[in-house]
Amino acid sequence: MTELRFPREVYVGEAVDEAVKTWSRFAEFELSETDDHWVVTVTPKHEAAARQIIGEFGNFVLGLTIDRGGVS
Amino acid sequence: MKLINLAEIKPRPGTQAFFRWRQIGDNAVLITNLEGNWLILDTAEFTQFARGEVEADSELHGRLLDKNFLRSNYDIQAAAERVKARKYFVHGGPLLHVMVVTLRCNETCVYCHASRANMDAVETDMSIETARKAVDLALSSTNGFITIEFQGGEPLVNFPVVKEIIEYATERNKEIQKRLEFTMVSNFALLTEDKLQYLLANKVQLCTSIDGPEELHNAQRKLPQTHNAFQAAAKWIKRVNEAYVEIGLDPTLYHVEALLTTTKATLDKWKEVVDTYVGLGCKTIFLRPVDPFGFAERARLRLEYPRGKYLEFYRNAVNYMIELNKQGVEILERYAAIFLTKILRGEDPNFLDNRNPAGAGIGQLAYSYDGNVYSCDEGRMLAATQDDAFLLGDVDTPYRKIVGHETIRAMTIATNLDQQPDCVNCAYNPYCGTNAAYNYKAQGSVFGRMRDNNVCAVHKGIQDFLFEKLAENDPEVMEIFERWTTIRPREHFVQEPGAAAELAEGETPSAD
Amino acid sequence: MSTDNQTSFTDIPEAVVSVAATDRSVSMVVDSELYPLQAVYGASYIFIDRCYVFIDRPEPGKYRVTLTAKESVEEAEALRQLVGEYANELLSCAWRHQVTQDNRVAIETVTVQAIAGAMGEPSLDDLADFDFTDEALDDPLGIAQSWEDKHGRKSPAEKEQAKAKVPEGEAAEATEAASTEEASA
Repeated sequence: MTELRFPREVYVGEAVDEAVKTWSRFAEFELSETDDHWVVTVTPKHEAAARQIIGEFGNFVLGLTIDRGGVS
Repeated sequence: MKLINLAEIKPRPGTQAFFRWRQIGDNAVLITNLEGNWLILDTAEFTQFARGEVEADSELHGRLLDKNFLRSNYDIQAAAERVKARKYFVHGGPLLHVMVVTLRCNETCVYCHASRANMDAVETDMSIETARKAVDLALSSTNGFITIEFQGGEPLVNFPVVKEIIEYATERNKEIQKRLEFTMVSNFALLTEDKLQYLLANKVQLCTSIDGPEELHNAQRKLPQTHNAFQAAAKWIKRVNEAYVEIGLDPTLYHVEALLTTTKATLDKWKEVVDTYVGLGCKTIFLRPVDPFGFAERARLRLEYPRGKYLEFYRNAVNYMIELNKQGVEILERYAAIFLTKILRGEDPNFLDNRNPAGAGIGQLAYSYDGNVYSCDEGRMLAATQDDAFLLGDVDTPYRKIVGHETIRAMTIATNLDQQPDCVNCAYNPYCGTNAAYNYKAQGSVFGRMRDNNVCAVHKGIQDFLFEKLAENDPEVMEIFERWTTIRPREHFVQEPGAAAELAEGETPSAD
Repeated sequence: MSTDNQTSFTDIPEAVVSVAATDRSVSMVVDSELYPLQAVYGASYIFIDRCYVFIDRPEPGKYRVTLTAKESVEEAEALRQLVGEYANELLSCAWRHQVTQDNRVAIETVTVQAIAGAMGEPSLDDLADFDFTDEALDDPLGIAQSWEDKHGRKSPAEKEQAKAKVPEGEAAEATEAASTEEASA
């Protein structure tokens, strides 16, 4: 289980949601939020690929954030 | 390559018009602007440009001014004209109409599973009724140019429907009066002299597939009985080329061209591939990498390769082709010609997978044997693997609903490079394109992610190679590139409304 | 400069405030006053084929960009190169961001003249077809919804059905979604 804290000033919330949807085949996700962060707890379904799944998930959120023009 | 250190250069904005840059050599930096003008600067020149310290009376200033890179003298009118010329296709509407007249195929190719059926699967033949409706839909395109491309499966397997499409379209075009052309992509193994005469009489442009030298071709494309798909194709390439001469066509312009599918097995055989094509009388090679459509995952692992390997193959093959050209052999590489036409001539050859925005739906439509209509041939192949994401309707759906479909809007937006994160900064933006169906298949979204997108890697790699050549500025190579970008239209293949239909009526070849 | 772990950086690029490194990742702190978020996005995007990239805000006025190499890193030199490359990209993106801002009016004018000008006047048919009601505001085309949601990849349940039909399809997709193919330019 890994907790990722995506700052709201950098990452778009919809990007986090969409990435969670896309990656739900590869990991269990729990979402919560604070005033400053989108908090995602990631539990990869395949332990051997955990590093890759978490890392690529993070990249995916960043990619979708940039696709959406970023946080204005 | 030793990377330029911007921290040392200390660039200052203010004097430059909108531009993008890319280092293409130790001492060579490419700059391109909004309208696709380009210059190759050495590091010292780039430093001056970046710092805004170009002397007003210098030679560099003259070059930058001439190509519209200076903000103070930016010529908006000239830029608008150039952009307009590059984007002329945006308002056109679909011109390429791919008609899959059957999925049945006499050959079994290692990279093609989903888009073919066995020869007894007659239920995958397009019906006459569907064919007529597909023609009606194609001819309702807003584009004044219409190319109907017969594909399959193997289109010669359902020759009666090919004939019906040709004759019905030609008849209807008497009143519609578009510039109508027919093209057929065939393995030629089922071609007969009767069929050939019919296709010649009706000005159908013929194209085949050659995967390289005989052994490789036959290993990848299995033909039952003779087991020699290569000889079957080679025999008919020769015969068709002779037939063109017989009817008085210039053989340098009219000859059979072939398509290559580059698999892992092709990569070491770049010289043999080129020699094979030259030996067959082809004047063009399209070094297409294998794409992920239509074959099973098992096959993918056997056929696919890292794109770096492909680019090595590409460089070897094209360098060899350039050497052959220097010796007087006329052979060009299609990818290079497409990019160079945009780079050197400021024109877009309208290759639908490499334009901005791409041609899916707004430049082409694909009609499946069952009457379903897709945004592109890749969309049709994807549907064969139970994913109908690119299905737009069927031949009974009104034209405006097909091209106005929200899937087309999504694909058009997704392939607009001015919204793609990597592409907005890429110096190759004015000459490039992306493919929404590929992005979807390979990366899960029509937008894709260019940093690790194979099509992007191939496009960047090819343009790196071409700009390196342009930076070398070898007069012989420049002359060859000029030749590769000289478009000689094949007017013979344009149907004259009325005349072609009469020819068709005069011929009554047996169907199969 | 901070050197929390093994790797020390003696000559950090001007664009970066500080650098911290482990054996496989490097974190750079960037001044958000000097480098707009769009430039940080642009530079970070360049690395997502090679690295796992994470951006956070360690304190107001700062961005921290962490690059973790996807493949194993043999030497500290490779991490040093990542820092140099990132700084270069950051400078380039910031510079081009400003150039784009400077020339925005010209870009828009050229584009409008080249593209919109060729559309011509709407025809009577176009006007007749135009929807003057408020219904368009209800998002009938689902513009607010992503295209993939509406038409693209199916739900896991639907996928299971498809899997039953085409055993190889799902495996291909899973591989592609998680792919880190050796492919980039």
